[in-house]
Amino acid sequence: MNWTLALPEIALACAGLVILLVGVIPGRNTFFGCTMAVIGALLLAAVLVLGQPEGTALGGLYVADAFSGFMKILALLGAALGLVLALDFNRRESLDRFEFPVLALFATTGMMVMVSANDLMAVYMGLELLSLPLYVIAAFDRDNGRSAEAGLKYFVLGALASGLLLYGVSLVYGFAGTTNFDRLADVFSGNGGVPAGVVVGLVFVVAGLIFKVSAVPFHMWTPDVYEGAPTPVTAFFAAAPKVAAVALLARVLLGPFGDLAAQWQQVIILASLGSMLLGAFAAVGQRNIKRLMAYSSIGHVGYALMGLAVVSDEGLRGLAIYMLIYMLMNIGTFAILVGMRRRGRAVERIEDLAGLGGTDLGRALWMTVFMFSMAGIPPLAGFFGKLYVFLAAVQGGFWTLAVVGVLTSVVSAYYYLRIVKVMFFDEAPAEGGLDATTPGLAAVTATTGIFNLVFCLYPAPLLLAAGLAAAALLG
Amino acid sequence: MITAAAFYIFAFVLIAAATMVVTSRNPVHSVLFLILAFFNAAALMLIAGAEFLAMILVIVYVGAVAVLFLFVVMMLDIDFARLREGFQRYLPIGGVVGLILLLELALVIGTWTTATEASDLRLAPNPGGGVSNTKALGQILYTDYVYLFQIAGLVLLVAMIGAIVLTHRRRPGTKRQDVAAQIARSGSVNLEQVPTGVGIGELGIRRPTLPEAPKPKQVEHADHHGGHH
Amino acid sequence: MAVGLSHYLAVSAILLVLGLVGIFLNRKNVIVILMSVELILLAVNLNLVAFSAHLNDLAGQVFAMFVLTVAAAEASIGLAIIVIYFRNRGSIEVEDISTLRG
Repeated sequence: MNWTLALPEIALACAGLVILLVGVIPGRNTFFGCTMAVIGALLLAAVLVLGQPEGTALGGLYVADAFSGFMKILALLGAALGLVLALDFNRRESLDRFEFPVLALFATTGMMVMVSANDLMAVYMGLELLSLPLYVIAAFDRDNGRSAEAGLKYFVLGALASGLLLYGVSLVYGFAGTTNFDRLADVFSGNGGVPAGVVVGLVFVVAGLIFKVSAVPFHMWTPDVYEGAPTPVTAFFAAAPKVAAVALLARVLLGPFGDLAAQWQQVIILASLGSMLLGAFAAVGQRNIKRLMAYSSIGHVGYALMGLAVVSDEGLRGLAIYMLIYMLMNIGTFAILVGMRRRGRAVERIEDLAGLGGTDLGRALWMTVFMFSMAGIPPLAGFFGKLYVFLAAVQGGFWTLAVVGVLTSVVSAYYYLRIVKVMFFDEAPAEGGLDATTPGLAAVTATTGIFNLVFCLYPAPLLLAAGLAAAALLG
Repeated sequence: MITAAAFYIFAFVLIAAATMVVTSRNPVHSVLFLILAFFNAAALMLIAGAEFLAMILVIVYVGAVAVLFLFVVMMLDIDFARLREGFQRYLPIGGVVGLILLLELALVIGTWTTATEASDLRLAPNPGGGVSNTKALGQILYTDYVYLFQIAGLVLLVAMIGAIVLTHRRRPGTKRQDVAAQIARSGSVNLEQVPTGVGIGELGIRRPTLPEAPKPKQVEHADHHGGHH
Repeated sequence: MAVGLSHYLAVSAILLVLGLVGIFLNRKNVIVILMSVELILLAVNLNLVAFSAHLNDLAGQVFAMFVLTVAAAEASIGLAIIVIYFRNRGSIEVEDISTLRG
């Protein structure tokens, strides 16, 4: 059985149960304490992941390798930072109920199960343990029609995507007689092609997973959900679950279906191209900054998928590095967006940033760093993220992908730089500048900002870790 | 032969009920047809030899999920006629797309093959030989699949937390028990020994004055002339 | 199994298509959309049971049991979200969604 291998997941789930119990007993509000405890539990799980040996366990349902370790630490870090963003915001918007961090913790457990899945059943259970809490926290601001609507849209489309994924899984099971990744890989590594049934099943599975990573053509829920959900929830959505979903997509496609690359490669290439183009062009006209970030995240997923589409060691390493950098850029940007308040009221239009350079120079400079990094301007971290996937595409001979990637980067630089222009060159509105930020948000901004600045000086350890992760998966 | 006939009958009713679920005008009818569909699907599972799942399907779906649906449909005061707008408009294109998809799936299913090595790759071959379906499932569910079983437990816990956190409201009128306040309370309630059998009037225990007896209601006659109209 | 595998697969394919068409036709009525999703999951379960019987393998039935569990949890969360949506909007029309666009 060897259940000790899954210690990080078990510890996290048990911590969640304890925090739930402790949070519900006192008569007073335990939001702050519970959030802090959850952040502690996430960091503890990250430490346990670092010390985790490799291997499969629990009847072949669970696998721990360098790839799962890398992605789990990213997801745990993203979830912990996302919760820090929620601390102050939820109190001010009276969303400070202790269920929020507990649900986030269970969602993170789901991410870890997904990333470590070695069986299609485990994939499904992890995906649902991730999705169900996310539906709830998207609608967490229950007296706000937009939040309820975001939850409803996300739920309906998410449930549909799960259904399609399951139908595909059932077809694959019917052909191979197993759902275990290693055994599936054995079946498909055999000579000759596979019957149409498996290809149809694979298409359904890929469609369901593409929905979860919100790439074109199943991206339509993203802008509405990002805009409608409370801002810290949006920040949470954009960071940890996305990392886990991309990791799961990579593991499913390269693991059991690795030998069917000819069947899925075209689909991933098209999804990557479509996402990059949509992310670049649809964001241009946006006025709401959360909606803009939604399109931006679609574009970033497109770049990350480029690393998967080329099916090579370099590509996968690029994907791992890209997700790391994307997660930290995004959390940093959202740390500033969560703190956007004018006279105590949360604001989320791009014009609301006008004049920030004059009123709060420090915050405006950090925002500039993040925008430059997102646009991929050297020497910031975002540039290297793009560089590695582009190099992998060029090495693999995928010129279309690389050229479209560069062109869409240029287009998207336009709207990132527009935000910088609004901050420094537009007049502050008559009612005054933004309110001062809180220490927690400032700390997150500074940490992620410094990472973006200094990544270029010493990237070797992270590159090495990403390389090991890629090697573990492609083996 | 009889099995085949039963299969076709149940399959036909299942598909007819499923069609009614998506096309009926009234969602209450949809839910009832959904229940019918689940019963027939359970029968199909029974024919395939999955007895335990068939029973679970009836208990979980008909007993819990469908009733929940019914409850929500009837609780919310919804103008269903308005929600039908667009149904007629989308019907042709929806039907055509559905038919094409069905034909494609039929092509796939008609030529269904199983991998030659599939029987060697099975993770949990049916033990057969007198072990009932329920027992065989129990033997692997709590051992080989205990990991997923626990995750399923977490999923249900999350569903419970989610449903409560979204819909539970603390109304101003309701009073909740506060254990800590109850225990901490002292001094305001005292236990005194009172000699029994002594006239109440002598001890002078204060008794709450009885509320005044309600006066007989004054019947007003607007119309003094009386008489029934 | 007394009845051929392809018969089961055909029934479940029809259920899947009915579920998808139901979502497409009842775009405004979220409750019927949820029921259509339940139909899709029923199709999946039928598929799994049929394959499980065909392969004489119990893993498919275990999987179907997990799908059932999760589907019940999903339905309860979905209905809770519908209830709060209705409280806010006084309707369950999804296409009312004009506030989120722009």
